Amino acid sequence: MADTLAPLHPRRVVLGFQDTEDMIAPDLPTEPIPLNMGPSHPAMHGTVRMVLEVEGERISSADIQIGYLHRCFEKESEAATWTQVFPYTDRLNYISPMLNNVGYAMAVEKLLGVTDKIPERAQFIRVIVGEVSRISDHLTCLGASAMELGAFTVFLYALKAREWLFELLEEVCGARLTSTYLRIGGVSYDLPDGFDGKLRSILDRTRVVMQDIGKLLDRNRIFRDRMDGIGIITQADALAYGITGPVGRSTGLAYDVRKDHPYLVYDRFDFDVPVGSVGDNFDRYAVRVEEINQSMRILDQALTQIPAGPVMINDPRIALPAKTETYNSIEAMIAHFKIIMDGIRVPPGETYSYTEAGNGELGFFIVSDGTGRPWKCRVRPPCFPATAVLGKVLPGLFIADVVPTFGMINMIGGECDR
Amino acid sequence: MADPTTTTTTSAPPAAPAPADTVTVTIDGKAHQFPKGTVLLEACNAVGADVPFFCYHPGLSSPAVCRQCLVDVKGQPKPVPSCYTPVADKMEVQTKSPRALDVRRQMLEFTLVNHPIDCPICDKAGECMLQKHYFDWDAKYARNDGIKVKKDKVVDVGPHIVLDQERCILCTRCIRVCDEVAKKHQLEMADRGDHEVLTTAPGHKLDNPYSLNTVDVCPVGALTSKDFRFSMRAWELTATQSICPGCATGCNIEIHHSRGKIHRLVPRVNPAVNKHWMCDEGRFTYKPVHAGRLAAPFVRGTPVEWDRALDEAGKLLRAALDAGPAKVGVVFNAQSTNEDLYALGRLAFDHLGLTKTYLAGVDQGWSDDILVSADKNPNRAGATAVGAGRLRTLLDLAKDLKAGALTTLLVVGTDGVLAKDAAPGALPLDRLETLVVIGTHRDAVAAAAKVALPLAAWAEADGTFTNKLGMVQRIRAAVPPAGDALAGWEILSHLARKLGATMDFTEARAVFNEAKQKLGFMKNAEWGRHMLPVQLRFASTRG
Amino acid sequence: MAQIVLDKLAAKFTGGEIVASGTELGDEWARVRRDAWVAVAAFLRDDPATKMEMFIDLTCVDRFGGGAPGASAPEAARFDVVLHLYSVSLKHRIRLYAGVPEEDPSLETLVSVWEGSNWFEREAYDLYGVRFKGHPDLRRILMYPEFVGHPLRKDYPKEKRQPLVRRDAGARD
Repeated sequence: MADTLAPLHPRRVVLGFQDTEDMIAPDLPTEPIPLNMGPSHPAMHGTVRMVLEVEGERISSADIQIGYLHRCFEKESEAATWTQVFPYTDRLNYISPMLNNVGYAMAVEKLLGVTDKIPERAQFIRVIVGEVSRISDHLTCLGASAMELGAFTVFLYALKAREWLFELLEEVCGARLTSTYLRIGGVSYDLPDGFDGKLRSILDRTRVVMQDIGKLLDRNRIFRDRMDGIGIITQADALAYGITGPVGRSTGLAYDVRKDHPYLVYDRFDFDVPVGSVGDNFDRYAVRVEEINQSMRILDQALTQIPAGPVMINDPRIALPAKTETYNSIEAMIAHFKIIMDGIRVPPGETYSYTEAGNGELGFFIVSDGTGRPWKCRVRPPCFPATAVLGKVLPGLFIADVVPTFGMINMIGGECDR
Repeated sequence: MADPTTTTTTSAPPAAPAPADTVTVTIDGKAHQFPKGTVLLEACNAVGADVPFFCYHPGLSSPAVCRQCLVDVKGQPKPVPSCYTPVADKMEVQTKSPRALDVRRQMLEFTLVNHPIDCPICDKAGECMLQKHYFDWDAKYARNDGIKVKKDKVVDVGPHIVLDQERCILCTRCIRVCDEVAKKHQLEMADRGDHEVLTTAPGHKLDNPYSLNTVDVCPVGALTSKDFRFSMRAWELTATQSICPGCATGCNIEIHHSRGKIHRLVPRVNPAVNKHWMCDEGRFTYKPVHAGRLAAPFVRGTPVEWDRALDEAGKLLRAALDAGPAKVGVVFNAQSTNEDLYALGRLAFDHLGLTKTYLAGVDQGWSDDILVSADKNPNRAGATAVGAGRLRTLLDLAKDLKAGALTTLLVVGTDGVLAKDAAPGALPLDRLETLVVIGTHRDAVAAAAKVALPLAAWAEADGTFTNKLGMVQRIRAAVPPAGDALAGWEILSHLARKLGATMDFTEARAVFNEAKQKLGFMKNAEWGRHMLPVQLRFASTRG
Repeated sequence: MAQIVLDKLAAKFTGGEIVASGTELGDEWARVRRDAWVAVAAFLRDDPATKMEMFIDLTCVDRFGGGAPGASAPEAARFDVVLHLYSVSLKHRIRLYAGVPEEDPSLETLVSVWEGSNWFEREAYDLYGVRFKGHPDLRRILMYPEFVGHPLRKDYPKEKRQPLVRRDAGARD
């Protein structure tokens, strides 16, 4: 019954005016009006300003203005040691902080030349917390976008599942969002006891939540009407703009860093990468839903395969000495001192390291001058080009379409503006 | 990185050594040429071999006691202390052979065996050579967990210095500084073995006028300056190159500052002026920069905005000049930079044609034949040259004031105008109708002025000083001027405009360039390249 | 991994447009002469052996006298514009450098080759002051319009204060 698109009731005359469909469009006087959406606007989450020019309800041009959440990540990184940059990376894509930590740690380890020496357990832990973060990122995106379309229940369901994941991450590293869990050379401490059981139970419950969300949205008339065919991004645009991740894959571009250039231990897992076909809002939604399922699949395998062992590289110039050593021997005191005050000595050079973050290819282009501090630490944000393409996608849409389109891009202000 | 040799000098560069005086040495497989007599350690480090050392210092004799610089030389059965060995022709040196690296680690292990775990409370942390060499070359954790030898930890060895005997690594650099630089024997090693300690020579204290150099050369935090200890961490400091304003020697220094406040002055290497050293008195010349400063323009005792003060000063001086320029006097100061002096000279001599010009300065003091000059002004040479014989003394000023020959006085730089032990009424400034003061401090001269304009101090200004040898040396601004203070040439440009003269300098370099053309003694001077202040945390050692 | 790209570049551009190239830590890079920037980029996109369809990143590095790959120290330009390209079909990457001197900080825009470079070039202009000739809309993107200076330059101190800006009625957005 719900599959039909025919109207359920005949339209009624409202307030004495004729229904607008009876009026011929050219008779309607229109003039372009500038309309400001944001930066303080409930739909412009992440703080972005869209200066739209509208004719009636149709957008004729859109100027997307970002930068309201710019917190000088790069400039601060140049004044911090390599390890001190980790808290800054947490606050990039702040819904999936672990993924940013992973991207940055791998970039520095690449310059150090120790990528192969990271202990296996640490690599598994990185994958596990990364995928947990990815699931929470996608849940937030789905929930918030659905809420903005009116599906408040979906929002609460999605955030209920996200709460379980955040509580689990809080047990791991002490914080829900500002995790700073990774270190160069491994992770700061091992997973807590009982983590395996807790995560498996959460995954089971999350699967139920995803089914509920699916039942509420997948064939929901309102949801489909507002998402199908709206905000189409072509594959050519995805290439020209460099859009990767769920948005890029929704256009049909089959590129996932975990599959195409496996890093950490991703090559040991069996998982699929969902790819869309139309590139509209609904494709982006569907790709994200399926990615959550695939992430859960990866997590199941990771929890089974994770070995025991150290979680930090065994290199006295990279890893801090144990506290008992530090307080009782001058050698360890000096090592501790130098690593923290000077920073880890990364040999001069520059490199670009990329991982699959929640929104796509998160790249870190780091330049080292041989001291313990970065010369440059550039973040290549995956949602930056996705937000840029909105300037091309929005014209021609209704004002109301801005809400789902912008929501499904999942522009995270912290990542786009840094 | 800071370039220690960027100074302005008027001496010609040394001629390159002739080929007959060089030897060929192979270091780590690559052949290099060095002049005869070069110390092997310097040769290795010049090509980047980075051999660590503690007791060697380029400005002191080399006793080879620490054994940290041991390298392998082909043909020698034992490792060779490179600080004691001059280069020889066809020498083959391995600084990173397994034995050289092993020996290096072993020496560090020995040095660390009794070293106290003081890094969190030690001033040298962050610029400590022991920390650096351990982390670069050893990085192995302790094998020995025996009890460390206890020695005295807070020994008051002199008026400026505190000694921590446990931290001392017995390199004897401080002893050599006292013996060879200050020419006074005040420090000694006592006892033997692992009880050997640094102590003062019997009956002596560490009170020679160069004592704080021992703090500079100490590789660890054994000798610390009472003035600096616990005041700021080394990695928070930023270094700006400048010249000490304490006397006419013009020792090259680095100003170490953090967030607009100077914490210490340390010497910079300049073989032509001060080699590696500076005197203790000069180290404290930073204190007046932050104390008792005139921070705002004052008109008749009320702080006002610059515009108002300049208007008032211009009005008063204009009136005085119209009444008769012969009764208007200007006081130059031997503490001012060449740029300030040049601007004042242009205004006073060229634009206003004044004849009553005087030179003030801090009084003469003690001197020695090591570094300290009797003339305690950094730029008397510059002031005298700008004055070209037209500047009279403060005694003449007192006479002219008493005789009523002056109605108006413009003082640029108040240091030494009122001598510290002068009798009251020795310089009767109250005889003046108008006193306009451009000064750095809220002293009696500024208090007596109708208009007092705040002047940037030496550490806040870019400019040049000319030392007693005629060398023009560059000072650089380290901290922003106190309050609303401006540089002297800038204030004078504004004042000149109020007086109808055209003098509109917008940057110190422009003043320098013009002065260079007009003043003979600045003919060969160099402004130097633009240098960003260096944060010490990038330098990672000092000593 | 992408040696073929470097070989193709060397074969096609024989007039010194490729100043230097190499492989560092598994990444291929090439330094391009400023005037050949668009030509090299377009070639990399279109040539069937390289096929760099995807624009990844464009940023700028302030060398400030430091070492730059393939640039000899005394003549090294102050800024290096760094371009990252990727080929989804052939799965290889390259990094391109173009030295941009301080006295004339300008470079041709790549908007005609990849539309997406628009915002990245705006960011390089905003933070470093590198002007992209031919860019359709070169204005600040992260900083507000009244901002003075280019903050990521090495001589811009982190603590520098900016004048407060008042939005009067009628001020332009």
